[in-house]
Amino acid sequence: MATKGEILLVDDDPDLRDSLQIILEKKGYSVRTAANGHEALEALEVRRPDLMILDIMMTTETEGFDLAYEVKSRPGIEDLPIILLTSFLEKVREEGPDKFQHIMGKTWPAKWLFEKPVDTKKLIAKIEGILAGG
Amino acid sequence: MVHPANETGLLNLPYELDKRKRIILGELKERTLWFIRLRWLVPFGIVVGTVLARWVGVGVRASPLLWAAGFILAYNFVFFLLSRRVKAEPSEKEYIEHFTYWQVGFDYGTMFLLIHFTGGIASPFIFFFIFHITFSAIFLPRRSTYSFAAIAAAGMGMVALAEYMGWIHHHAISFQGRAIDLSQEPFHMMVILSFFAGFVFITGLSITAVMRMLEKRILDLAELTETVTALNEELNTLHTMTQAIVSKQHLEQLLHIATAELAKAMDVQAISVKLLSQDGKFLRYAASHGLPPDFMDRVVELEKSPLNRRVIEGEPFVTGRVTRREWFQFGEDLSAARLQSVQFVPLIVEGRVIGILGAYSTRPEQFGPHELVFFRQAAGLVAIAIENAQAYEAIENLIQERSRFMNRVAHNLRAPLAAMTSMLEVIREGYLGDLNETARKYLTRVDRRVQGMLLMIDELMSLAKSQSKQPEMECGPLNLETIASRIQKNFQEEVAKKRLIFEVTVPEDLPEIRGDSDMIEQMFENLISNAIKYTPEGGRVGMTFWRGPNETVRTVVSDSGIGIPKREMPRLFTEFFRASNVQDAIGTGLGLAIVKEIVDKHSGQIEVESEEGLGTTFIINLPVAQRRIV
Repeated sequence: MATKGEILLVDDDPDLRDSLQIILEKKGYSVRTAANGHEALEALEVRRPDLMILDIMMTTETEGFDLAYEVKSRPGIEDLPIILLTSFLEKVREEGPDKFQHIMGKTWPAKWLFEKPVDTKKLIAKIEGILAGG
Repeated sequence: MVHPANETGLLNLPYELDKRKRIILGELKERTLWFIRLRWLVPFGIVVGTVLARWVGVGVRASPLLWAAGFILAYNFVFFLLSRRVKAEPSEKEYIEHFTYWQVGFDYGTMFLLIHFTGGIASPFIFFFIFHITFSAIFLPRRSTYSFAAIAAAGMGMVALAEYMGWIHHHAISFQGRAIDLSQEPFHMMVILSFFAGFVFITGLSITAVMRMLEKRILDLAELTETVTALNEELNTLHTMTQAIVSKQHLEQLLHIATAELAKAMDVQAISVKLLSQDGKFLRYAASHGLPPDFMDRVVELEKSPLNRRVIEGEPFVTGRVTRREWFQFGEDLSAARLQSVQFVPLIVEGRVIGILGAYSTRPEQFGPHELVFFRQAAGLVAIAIENAQAYEAIENLIQERSRFMNRVAHNLRAPLAAMTSMLEVIREGYLGDLNETARKYLTRVDRRVQGMLLMIDELMSLAKSQSKQPEMECGPLNLETIASRIQKNFQEEVAKKRLIFEVTVPEDLPEIRGDSDMIEQMFENLISNAIKYTPEGGRVGMTFWRGPNETVRTVVSDSGIGIPKREMPRLFTEFFRASNVQDAIGTGLGLAIVKEIVDKHSGQIEVESEEGLGTTFIINLPVAQRRIV
């Protein structure tokens, strides 16, 4: 079945990862998953996805940021669209705006950052917008 | 206490005495200049006197008198020119005294001439000697006074003798043709001469005697004034240090102020603060004022510095001459900086020595018992300052630690709930297979409880943040119209869903308020969110702004909701309060506590009126932003 696009979902929480994978697949996307930055980089080397959904705080507090930074510096995937997830927006608001701006090239507050629990409708709308916009 | 050279101690005596003499010298300088100004009147007086005398019939030769007047004018002009130099320079004592003696010499010479031409011993001019004698008795050394008196007496004796013996011509004066001539009356001359001599000596003697007393008083007074000034300066220093301590500055800043102030007040080259390392083996410079910059990086090993060790043991150290190098680990550097006097006192907190306060002066014998007492007081303050600053920093660290902890807790509490929400969604939406209606309903109820918990975590965090972050409020002038329209937009969806009428009224000339925009917005959001939540479908919610009394802006948030039971009103703003009639709505009971917290932080007031079943009105008064006058 032709999919609407391929998404790499990076999150260390298996419960959330599995649920989100099911929801996204039901919406017609093909989803690959990774549980940490290392796995994510491996997955990225296999094939470039159309979009990456990335949890900021995984094993370390900034693993997501670090991975995003790595992606932005790798030729071939430096323009990969990234949607960030966080369990606690307040924390990112306090500590991350500079990092965020640096990685995303966008000013804070960004519509590319979702707080968990994720509002699935808004997330899907965002994904559709990004993939349609190219 | 080591106090090798300066046993007598209080003051550096030669220096102090010299300072005192300068007070009298300054007065002499001023008076001698005043004498020059006064002398301008003398020629004028002579001319007027001569004219008057001749008019009333006194027979006197005018031309010598006028010549004398001209002569006075001439030499006074010369003295006037010289006086400018005296005025400009911080002149030497000898120079000023000589300057005065020359003036007296010229005055005396002219006076003898005038006396000679106006009847010799009978001349009324002899009384004028009194000026110089009085003046010298006050300002010049005592021997000058007696010399002046002696010269006046001897000079008059010479004039009388010369005229009597006929060595010089006698110019008798006459009145209405009758000559007043004492030159041939030896007895009379002797009487006048001896009384004149007695007169000048007694005058000189009595004034110098009084002056001796006065001089002592002047010195005492000068010394007292100086002491008071010094004490005042010391007090000011202690005050400035106290202020710095109370203002909760960082340790570094605070010590910087303290050392600079102390150096100024004590009039010394340098002040240092050395702090003891944790293991008590080293001293490190925590602050210094006036020491070479590379001192700051130095570490004093107590092992190698018996002097510092002794101070650490609680004994102050004072020396007036840094000669014994072995006392100092960096003795050579002290001599290189030409520091001569050194004073070290221990910094003591709760009976424990934590470091050393040091003072360094390029003057020898700078520190006496008085300086030591003051320095120990200052050390007491510095010790308190260090203790305070360290405590303050510890508290700051603790607050930061707490904030980090809270953030972690919030994250760790939220993460499982977020996962639960997503998993619930997967099941509820039937992605894993069909559900019956009851199961779906129950899952929805589970989801609602999960959402309630998430909300409670958010609000707890927000409350904790608002209670712990007092100093970080970012206050500025806020335009309420902007905030109001943003809130109106944010709630559009919810309002539409419940088919409520939501009216926002902002008058055009509403002044700005002063506050933290995030907090103020959250405050209105909480109130409006409550109003919407507790108002049944089709009801009305309003937010109106007015210009309130006493430079305030009044905000009224009203709804036509379920109201709050009367008996529960007193607990309205307490944390976790939920009215008994709201069981249906999701809520945590933290919203209004946060509102109250924010209102308090902005020095505002909040009131509430409510009627169960009819609605609730919150009235908030917030102070207007003051226009800053530049």
